[in-house]
Amino acid sequence: MGKETPAEKSLNLIRGRLCDPSYVFRPLSASSDSNYSKLKFIVSTSITEGCNNSMLLLGPRGSGKAAVLDLVVGDLLEQFPDSVSVIRLNGLLHSDDNCAFKEIAKQLCMEHHLLFSKMASFDDNSQFIIAMLRACGLAHKTIIFVLDEFDMFAQGKQRLLYSLLDAMQSVTSQAVVVGISSRLDADQLLEKRVRSRFSHRKFLFLPPSREELDGLFVHLLSLPADSGFPSGYVSRFNDKIKNLTSDTRFKDILKTLFNANSTVNSFLKFIFCAVSLMNLESGLLSLENFKAALSSMQRQPKLEAVRDCSVLELYLLVCMRRLEVKEQSSYNFISVMKEYKAIHDSFHTSDYYAQNVCLRAFEHLRERQVICYAENRGQSQTGEYRLQKLLISASELHQGMRSHACCPAILLKLLDH
Amino acid sequence: MAATPSSKAKTFQSPNKTPTNMYRKSYLSPSSTSLTPQTPETLTPLRRSSRHVSRKIDLGNDPIDLPGRESIQEINLTPRKRTTDVVAETLTTPKTKKKKKIDVEASFSPISPNRSETITKKKKKKKRVYYNKVEFDETEFEIGDHVYVKRREDANSDEEEEDPEIEDCQICFKSDTNIIMIECDDCLGGFHLNCLKPPLTDVPKGDWICQFCVVHKPPPLQGKKLAKRTMREKLLSGDLWAARIEKLWKQEVVDGGCVYWIRARWYIIPEETVSGRQRHNLKRELYLTNDFADIEMECVLRHCFVKCPMEFSKASNDGDDVFLCEYEYDVHCHSFKRLAQLVDGDSDSDQEWNGGKEKEIDSDDEEESVCADSKSKRGLTGVNTKGRIFGVEKVGTKRIPEHVRCYKKNELEKAKATLLLATRPKSLPCRSKEMEEITAFIKGSILDDQCLGRCMYIHGVPGTGKTISVLSVMKNLKAEVEAGSVSPYCFVEINGLKLASPENIYSVIYEALSGHHVGWKKALLFLNERFAEGKRIGKENEKPCILLIDELDLLVTRNQSVLYNILDWPTKPNSRLVVLGIANTMDLPEKLLPRISSRMGIQRLCFGPYNHMQLQEIISTRLKGINAFEKTAIEFASRKVAAVSGDARRALEICRRAAEVADYRLKNNNKTAKSQLVIMADVEVAIQEMFQAPHIQVMKSVSKLSKIFLTAMVHELYKTGIAETSFDRVATTVSSLCLTHGEAFPGWDILLKIGCDLGECKIVLCEPGEKHRLQKLQLNFPSDDVAFALKDNKDFPWLANYL
Repeated sequence: MGKETPAEKSLNLIRGRLCDPSYVFRPLSASSDSNYSKLKFIVSTSITEGCNNSMLLLGPRGSGKAAVLDLVVGDLLEQFPDSVSVIRLNGLLHSDDNCAFKEIAKQLCMEHHLLFSKMASFDDNSQFIIAMLRACGLAHKTIIFVLDEFDMFAQGKQRLLYSLLDAMQSVTSQAVVVGISSRLDADQLLEKRVRSRFSHRKFLFLPPSREELDGLFVHLLSLPADSGFPSGYVSRFNDKIKNLTSDTRFKDILKTLFNANSTVNSFLKFIFCAVSLMNLESGLLSLENFKAALSSMQRQPKLEAVRDCSVLELYLLVCMRRLEVKEQSSYNFISVMKEYKAIHDSFHTSDYYAQNVCLRAFEHLRERQVICYAENRGQSQTGEYRLQKLLISASELHQGMRSHACCPAILLKLLDH
Repeated sequence: MAATPSSKAKTFQSPNKTPTNMYRKSYLSPSSTSLTPQTPETLTPLRRSSRHVSRKIDLGNDPIDLPGRESIQEINLTPRKRTTDVVAETLTTPKTKKKKKIDVEASFSPISPNRSETITKKKKKKKRVYYNKVEFDETEFEIGDHVYVKRREDANSDEEEEDPEIEDCQICFKSDTNIIMIECDDCLGGFHLNCLKPPLTDVPKGDWICQFCVVHKPPPLQGKKLAKRTMREKLLSGDLWAARIEKLWKQEVVDGGCVYWIRARWYIIPEETVSGRQRHNLKRELYLTNDFADIEMECVLRHCFVKCPMEFSKASNDGDDVFLCEYEYDVHCHSFKRLAQLVDGDSDSDQEWNGGKEKEIDSDDEEESVCADSKSKRGLTGVNTKGRIFGVEKVGTKRIPEHVRCYKKNELEKAKATLLLATRPKSLPCRSKEMEEITAFIKGSILDDQCLGRCMYIHGVPGTGKTISVLSVMKNLKAEVEAGSVSPYCFVEINGLKLASPENIYSVIYEALSGHHVGWKKALLFLNERFAEGKRIGKENEKPCILLIDELDLLVTRNQSVLYNILDWPTKPNSRLVVLGIANTMDLPEKLLPRISSRMGIQRLCFGPYNHMQLQEIISTRLKGINAFEKTAIEFASRKVAAVSGDARRALEICRRAAEVADYRLKNNNKTAKSQLVIMADVEVAIQEMFQAPHIQVMKSVSKLSKIFLTAMVHELYKTGIAETSFDRVATTVSSLCLTHGEAFPGWDILLKIGCDLGECKIVLCEPGEKHRLQKLQLNFPSDDVAFALKDNKDFPWLANYL
């Protein structure tokens, strides 16, 4: 492989930064008021004082809950290399109690170089876990249980949570349970007896403010001065970024993005898209890159589906819409065909197709989820007799038809009346 | 079988092979680098002052317990005589070993384990008589005692001459007992108070370090000192061993005599561990090992005293031979672990474990135990299918972390520790009435000669002390059993939530009663025989059985047969079964089938929620002696909890959280630390965090379109009066809102995504997004909350018009 050009090199550098949560979240968590320092304080005091704690990290998706926790855990593993072990579970994978116990036992065995037996029963595993908790407590080792998608563990009898939290009610054990959930009411899901044993430390992760995001943007994209780039390139690159941030058009792009979703994760995705579109010859980021990134972030699949429909399909959609306007809330293929025929009869359109062709178009629409069956019942009936629903609203249909390449004018008129 | 002993011998030898020079290095290093940690505050001052006081007592009044020079010699000399005439053939004492020229690799160890094995094999037929207490050379040795053990041949020479019990002053080299002596915390040397320059009149508080250690110079005249080393010095320099007596027995020898043996569990000094002396090790610290050896009584010199830190700080009766032991050292894995019984505070489990161990060896199948040992060593560990767990004992730290030992807790941290849910309180305030009732119930049931089975249902909301009350009643009862006023019983504790399935309770009960694990159907059969027909299980004698079932409601199956069976047994004439059921719901018996509720619902005990006075009392009894909380803060917390749930756990957690908040606040800005106490504001923060749902904060900080979305939903709700709307309608409202106020409408698909994001946080309840236009939506919180959150919004002041 040849030598990397400066453009490729900077591309790799920035992509590497974007994929490294510690690089992203370190500047966001510097202040003593941040979740990072509070969380670190609690977990590290639990380790040094040898006590048990349980906490919840709450916040919308993409706000960096797991990333901040990883930062904290990484720091603590460095600080106390011998006395921290981390067990990670995910609610989507281990919401079944039996399976969760097995997984915990397995990870504990891995951690302590023991042989794990797949045959072990639920009882064995739970006894093993309790014995391990005790042994680790005696050896001044703290076990951190990270329960991602915490709300999923709160289904059923919550046996796992109960056993963990109940085992933590003894002096010998030394464990921290960290639940991560995007459901704000996650602690309300717990059963009373589980909730009573839970320590109820809550950390709320909110989307960062606009200023923080602007700072993050510069932090992520500006190249360091002393990293082997040609000297002119670095200053040109950084100047370009500076220019961009003061450009009003760029500000508008960011505003549109943050209007929809202001979490860190979506911002990172956006930058990643833009950086990937960078022109390798000039090696600089341009406004067009960000524009393209925005449009790829905010796609409108339904609108595009309408735009790609054939004329016959548009006819069918318009017929269905007309039926809905006529307050005929339920319709199937037969009634749509009736309407189609009526339109043809009254307006003498040139596009008239046979019923079997229309049925194919109809099926096609359903496969693309522009329409769907109204209810799951009646699967014995063939498709044409089952009730259908339009999944697309009138304004979307209207907008889609306007931007359609060859939409007959009569259809637009039909839609309005 | 041969493999294990030889490996044992090696571990014995290894510390010897690296003799003094290695340990010297590590031994001196702390003082030379002056990194010696502070000894924990509570330990030393008490300890020192007690030492010289105790010495006076020892010397004056109690010559037996701590013999003077003569009596020690007696001990040392008499066994040696006996050795020559009785034990000569058994070749076990270190002395005879060399004479007979038998080449044993572990010639330094007091006995070679190899030999002890052969002996036990030879003598397998011979009778062994086990004792709990043995009088040997006018000294009593009991199981659990700590003793010095001879280590090697050459060490004997100076032992014989003298064993100075009273150490000399390091300055005047006299042992005048009338003058108070002070101990240096670094070199452990003794100093007369008036020999010091300048002389001290009183024992100072805190750590005291002698003048020699201050300048890192060894005290003068080492040679003289070496000649007169005390046993303590020898032990700490590795010339003696300390051991705990695990077992005592008398064994007949071929020619008719008998020899006393002990099974010793070795202690090890920090220098002999793999990690060497660690900075935080105290001078008198020892580690308990998991290494056992059978040795003859002859090797035992005399008693020493190994104490846990708590007792060590209060040690009063034992002069120089006191040692501290807090950790256990695994000689195979070279790892440390805290001593379990110290941490738990009660030795229940330990006793049981001892019992099991003894049985195993009594039945003379040592081979089996050795096999099991070697198996676990080979690495066949982890979760075993037979329900036995191997390998857990392997867990341990390679080094004891420093932060544990050298850390001085401040008041707030002490408060946090006592407020932990895990810390068992010394007393249970506010539940004496209930406890009396439980005690009366249990006593009434088991003291009856008939012991008619009975059943009691205990209910109450979580965190009102149900389980702990029952357990403490049982503990008191156990003390009474030991005292002899109550006949013995067996106690089985089961938690419904910890069972894999309700039926498993049979096997758990059966296992608890008999020690064997069987499937639940078989167990049910046996239990039916036991309780309904009165057949005994195995060797079990006529003991009443108390069954505590926590979380009873979890045992309710569809046909409720489990509950029926368990509650039916007590009604049988010969069952001698007492069932205590604990659950949260008050009306559990009423919810069950009538045939069950009639068996269970007769005797009930309700644990009501605590009121604020009680909560306050609970918290303040825990915090007794720790000045960390403002009084009003405690009252505020307890009133708040009492108003919501009356859950003691919750109140304790709030206080602990408040202490954490205060701790964090003080540690972050130490310059403005006005009050070191937990104040109202901290409690307020903790309560906010615990009770307030975070949705308002989230609503305030969501993206702009989400705010418009929420506004549209509220608007829709006001307009129609129906909570549930469809995405179709909300989107139309959003687009009209955007249109009238000059915002860009993002398009339906993006709006759908925004709605789904809100749905994921459960601010909005919604159907999956694939239903698109038909998706049904509903606010998860009262519309007032949304209005409150969005009213004074700077970006969109017009939102308030629609709320």
